[in-house]
Amino acid sequence: MKRLRCILLALLLLAIPVAGHATIRIVTTTQDLAALAEAVGGEFVEVQSLTPGTSDPHFAVAKPSMIRKVFRADLLLIIGADMEIGWLPPLLQSARNARVQPGNPGHLDLSGAVPILGKLSGPVSRALGDVHAKGNPHYWLDPRNGVHMARAIAERLGELDPDHAAEYQRRSQSFAQTLNQKFLGWREELAYLDGQPVIAYHTSLVYLADAFGFRIVDEVEPKPGIAPSAASLNALLTRIKADDIGVLIMEPYYERRSARYLNEQTGIHIAVLPQSVGARKGIDSYFELFDAIVTAFKDVEDK
Amino acid sequence: MAHSNLCSTLVTIVICMFAANLNVASASEETNELQRQLLELRQQLLQMQQGYQQQVDALEQRIDALEKQSDQSVNQPPAMAAAGGIPAGISVLPIGLSGLFAGGGSSVDNDALEKLQGGAHDPNQNGFIVQNVELSLGAAVDPYFDAQANIIFQIDSDGETVVELEEAFFLTRSLPGGLQVKGGQYFTEFGRLNQQHPHRWSFVDQPVVLSRFFGGDGLRSQGVRLSWLTPTDWYSELIVGMQNAKGETVTSFLNAPGEDIGGHTLIDRDARDLGDLLYTLRWFNGFDLSDTVSMNLGVSGLWGPNASGSNTDTNIVGTDWYLKWQPARTQRGFPFVSWHTEVLWRRYEAEDAGTSNQETLKDWGLFTQALWGFRPGWVAGLRWEYATANGDTAADPLRDTRKRLSPNLTWYPTEYSKLRLQYNHDWAEHLVGKTADTLWLQVEFNLGAHAAHVF
Repeated sequence: MKRLRCILLALLLLAIPVAGHATIRIVTTTQDLAALAEAVGGEFVEVQSLTPGTSDPHFAVAKPSMIRKVFRADLLLIIGADMEIGWLPPLLQSARNARVQPGNPGHLDLSGAVPILGKLSGPVSRALGDVHAKGNPHYWLDPRNGVHMARAIAERLGELDPDHAAEYQRRSQSFAQTLNQKFLGWREELAYLDGQPVIAYHTSLVYLADAFGFRIVDEVEPKPGIAPSAASLNALLTRIKADDIGVLIMEPYYERRSARYLNEQTGIHIAVLPQSVGARKGIDSYFELFDAIVTAFKDVEDK
Repeated sequence: MAHSNLCSTLVTIVICMFAANLNVASASEETNELQRQLLELRQQLLQMQQGYQQQVDALEQRIDALEKQSDQSVNQPPAMAAAGGIPAGISVLPIGLSGLFAGGGSSVDNDALEKLQGGAHDPNQNGFIVQNVELSLGAAVDPYFDAQANIIFQIDSDGETVVELEEAFFLTRSLPGGLQVKGGQYFTEFGRLNQQHPHRWSFVDQPVVLSRFFGGDGLRSQGVRLSWLTPTDWYSELIVGMQNAKGETVTSFLNAPGEDIGGHTLIDRDARDLGDLLYTLRWFNGFDLSDTVSMNLGVSGLWGPNASGSNTDTNIVGTDWYLKWQPARTQRGFPFVSWHTEVLWRRYEAEDAGTSNQETLKDWGLFTQALWGFRPGWVAGLRWEYATANGDTAADPLRDTRKRLSPNLTWYPTEYSKLRLQYNHDWAEHLVGKTADTLWLQVEFNLGAHAAHVF
């Protein structure tokens, strides 16, 4: 036992106090939130995302390296609406950082800052597939929500760092201005989509449809999160032909076989849309995300 | 509304300007210039409209919020609002129920199968088995504590229902300096697999070496532990714990009187001082080797008394490593490859009460398992195990030399259910025929609280 105590004492002595830091350490659950935080925080913040934009943030796992990041964070930005339900609670439990626990100023759930679509009322059953009772959590895909999110981040940063509050406000306003302007341009470029019926792979693109005025009439997945079967694909095939649906949209991380099959059978055009900042090389900002989405749609229009 | 009046005025102005411009243009035929101006105006108008729309949206949201507030103040008794302020309809206690069932058959009979399948939640008889039905409740208690309880229901081979308080513990939320205290009844943080509940296992049964050292239910007991996240550049966690050493879930230590280890019958030995408790030390590290590969490395040690004599001790040490590859682009977390290995050694000072018999039992064992998630929902696994001990142990099913190879295939229809087919090829010295072949089919369901994806 004596030896054990010696080892412990030695290890405790190794714990050198961490030096104070000037910048606010922001940790976000997704790269979209990281891009917004960087736009608003500028040089006063240091931003890290827990998941890469290439993967579906719902299916992340709580890795030790993530625990380390959350442990050191001053501000944690999350998508909320159960998006991170599978991995954030154990992560927060292990991270032992009171600042970023829900309810404290260092915890900001951005789903509270935007109008959420698809909230379910009445009894909810998982027999309906992977349904989110708190509503659809993919709200960052509406550029108008980007404005709300940037404003909420600026407000929270101002509370945590009052010295630079005015600077955060200014940055968020200029971000909003640019975004509004760009949104008009994007809408104009995608004017051909207005009112068009579109098939999506998963129920994750409703905000995009809302922002750009197209209608998602069906999904490749027969129920959210349930893989398509031969029968469900054939039913969809009939519908595509009957309703003359011209475009199928999907995130890059879904399997392509089903989409290819539908394309071969009906000639429907497939638009693989980057769903997040970081989904592809060259998409490093929130603006570049929508530039890339618009380009993907334009490529389909040209076909 | 004032907004729409303003809007229509603006539209009129714009149309007038547009008309005026048109006259001039038709005169001078500067069509290009006109078109440019027109586009500009249209954009400005759209911008203005959008600005107003946002203001209207914001106002609507505020009205909604106010309406909700007033609804709540009407519906909620003031006492409740003052006490917690948690909005009605939001559960503060997530409850989950997981059920794990198996069926299968073996080339050996039930008696032999029970000795091969040493885990209390392993499928261990020809036919059907309710492996584990677990009720989990857990949430934040207040700003200072989290708490969790896992209660297990099981049906034993005689058809009797067994209820167990598997875990019930608190965890601190806000200690400074990266410290965290856990207390209550909990799985000892030794290695990686001992802390995992049966529904998180990647195989239908627990490894032989864990059943031997930690008993059928895993090593768990009552106590308290301190964990420290060290201020290093990588994830490094140091855990020191003390727990009661007595009970059937502390098998290699005081265990229960009358039990038998290596031919030595255990006496009724109680804790007399601090030296009679079970001490745990664990150092656990996590690294990201690249964007797609991460690794965990741990070493653990246990020190405590054993009940073969009144002054005998046991020491167990182990090392665990876990490597996982997951490409940048994944669908529902697939594909992935993981490799998990643990090696454990036990040194057991054995005596026989009332005699001068003394010996040191030395056992060791390992398991190594690889998983390949080859397409969304599908995982193929392969596990290899080895366990052995010193002395003449050929007839002792808990100390003989054993090898086991287990390929399996798991299908997860959703995050909430799974179907698993596993084949075990056993080679055991104590078996009459030396080998056994067994096939198991396992089904799991999860209800309620969303199960966590832990690395």
